[in-house]
Amino acid sequence: MTAILDHQDAGPQDTGTRRSLMKRVLDGLSPSRLMVPGFLLFWSLLVIVPLVVIVLFSFLQVRQFRVVYEPTLATWISLIDSGRWMAVVRTLRVALTMTVIEFLLAFPFALWLAKGCRSKTVKAAVITLLTIPFFLDAASRIIVWRSILGTTGAINTALMSLGLVDQPVEWLLYSEFAVHFGLLGTYFPPMVFPIFMSIALIDDEFIQASGDLGASPAQTLFNVILPLALPGIVAGIVFTLVPLMAAFVEPQLLGGGFVDLLGNSVNSALQQLKYPTAAALSTLVVLLLGLCLVALIRVVHRRIDLAAMFVAMRR
Amino acid sequence: MSATAMETYSRRAVAAPSARRRLSTSPRWTTLAKGAGVFAIVMIYIPLVWLAVMSFTANPLAGIPYPLTFQNYATLFADARWRPPLYTSLLMSAGVAVVCMALSTLVGRALTRMARPGASLLLVLMPLFVPGLTMGAALFIFLRTMLNLTLGMWSIFLAQLVWALPFCILLVLVVASRFDLRLLDAAEDLGASPWRRFWDIEMPILRPGILGAGIFGFLLSFNELPRSLFVRGIETTMPIYNWAMAASQQSQVPIIFSLTTILLAVTLPVMGAFFWVLFVKLDKN
Repeated sequence: MTAILDHQDAGPQDTGTRRSLMKRVLDGLSPSRLMVPGFLLFWSLLVIVPLVVIVLFSFLQVRQFRVVYEPTLATWISLIDSGRWMAVVRTLRVALTMTVIEFLLAFPFALWLAKGCRSKTVKAAVITLLTIPFFLDAASRIIVWRSILGTTGAINTALMSLGLVDQPVEWLLYSEFAVHFGLLGTYFPPMVFPIFMSIALIDDEFIQASGDLGASPAQTLFNVILPLALPGIVAGIVFTLVPLMAAFVEPQLLGGGFVDLLGNSVNSALQQLKYPTAAALSTLVVLLLGLCLVALIRVVHRRIDLAAMFVAMRR
Repeated sequence: MSATAMETYSRRAVAAPSARRRLSTSPRWTTLAKGAGVFAIVMIYIPLVWLAVMSFTANPLAGIPYPLTFQNYATLFADARWRPPLYTSLLMSAGVAVVCMALSTLVGRALTRMARPGASLLLVLMPLFVPGLTMGAALFIFLRTMLNLTLGMWSIFLAQLVWALPFCILLVLVVASRFDLRLLDAAEDLGASPWRRFWDIEMPILRPGILGAGIFGFLLSFNELPRSLFVRGIETTMPIYNWAMAASQQSQVPIIFSLTTILLAVTLPVMGAFFWVLFVKLDKN
C-alpha cells in the first residue's frame, strides 16, 4: 500500500505539468456533476423548446414571409372553419382502431413467446424478425402494397383469373382499408416488445401458485398475468399510438388522397408555407396524444395502483 | 392460449410438481396466438419479398411478375441521381452513430451515478413520446421560421440525433446499471489511475452497450424520414429521396424498387446476423 501511495505521489512530480493536464482531462472522464445538467440543457433546447415554440406559434400569423408577433386565434378558427376537424376525427379513429387491432394480435403472441415458446432458437428467430423492420425505409416498403392491392395488382389478378370476380375489387387500394392494411405490419413490433418483456419478467411461480390455489385459467389470466403485464401493455400502447397519431407515409401512399390524416395535413400545410397552420395541427397531435395517455393512465389506475405495480415488478 | 394452458399446467403441477414447466400445451389457444404473430410477421415481410420480385419485372407497379427483366437494374446504374442521397445518408449515419456512441456513454454513465435519475431520464427519453412528424415540424418552425437559420446537413444531423440518441442511451443504461460501482472503488484502493479504472474495468462491461448504441444509431439514422424531411433544407438523404419518388408517382418508381432491393440484400443478412448473435447472447446471460 505504501509503495502504491509512493508511486502515486511520485507520478505528478516526475512528469510535471503534462501529467497534471492529463489528470485534468482524465478526471473529466469520470462523470462530473456538470455532465447531466449540461446535456439536459442542450437536450431541452433541441426537444422541449421547439415543442413549446409550435404551441405559441399556432397563435401567430405569417404575413409576407414575416412572423407577426401578435397573438391571434385566426389559425385555430380557420382550422375549424375549413373542416380540418374531420381529419382529426379520422386520425383518432384510425389510430385507436389500429392500436386495438395490434393489441389483440400482439398480446396472445407475446404471451406465447414469453411463456409458451420453449425453443430458444425459435424465440431468438422471432425477436430478430420483429427487430429488423424497425430499421427499414418506410416509403419503399409501403409503396409495394400498391402492386399487390391495386386494380391490376397481384390480388385482383389472382381473383380475376380464378374467376371469383368479374371486375377488379376497387376498395383494396386507395381506401381506408388499404391504409389500415399498410399500418398493420409497421406497428406490430412496437406493441409486441414491451408486452413480451413484461410477461417474460413474471415469475413462473406466481402462475403456478395461482393454479395451485384453485384459480381457473381465466382467473389466472385476468388476476395474475394481466395486472403484472400492465406496465408492458401501457408501454406497448404508447409506442404504437404515438407514431400512429402522426402517420403520413401509409395514408399518403395507400390512401390516394381519400384518407387525409393529421400527418398529411401537417405535411401539406408546411409545403404550402402555412406555418401557423402546421404549428396548430402539430399542437393538436400532441394535445390529442396527451388526452389519450391521460385516459389510458386513468383506466389503468382504476384497475391497479401504478406504484404498487412497479414494486411488484422489482420484487 | 394461456387460459387452457394454465389449466393443463396446473393439472401437471399436481401430477408431477417437479416436472419442467410447460405452459403452452393447449393446441387451440397456442395455435391462435401463434397464428396472430405469424400473420403480423408475414404482413411485414410480404412487401419485402414482393419488392425484390417486382424489381426484376418490366413494370413493378403492375402487380404481375412478368415479363422478367434486368432493365430496372440497368436503368439504376445508368442513373446518377440516387447516388448523392445515398452518400449523404451513409456519411450522416456514420456521424450520428459516432456522436451517439460518445454521448450515450457519457450520459449513460453519469445517469447511473445519480441518486435520483428518474426525472432526468424522462427528459432524455422525451422524444420517444413525440411523433416524428410533429418533432420535425417543431424543429423546422423553431430553427427556420423563428431563428431564421439556413437549414442543411447540420439540422438533419440534429433531428436524427433527437430520434436515435434516446435508444442509444437506453442501450448503454441497460449495461451500465448492471455495473457494480464498488469495483471502481476497489480499483482505486489498489492504486489504479482514473484512466485505467475507466478503460480496464468499466469499459469491458460497457463495450457491448456502446457498440450496440453505434449500430442502432447508424440504422435509425439511415432510415429516418419524418424528422429529416422537414429540416433538410436543400439536402436529400436516401429515405427522403425514396419518399419523394414514391409520393410523386413518377417513372422513377422502378428505380427505387431495384435500389431498395440492393440495399436490402446488403443490410438484411448483416442485421439478421447481428441481432441473432445479440439475442442469443442476451438469452445466455
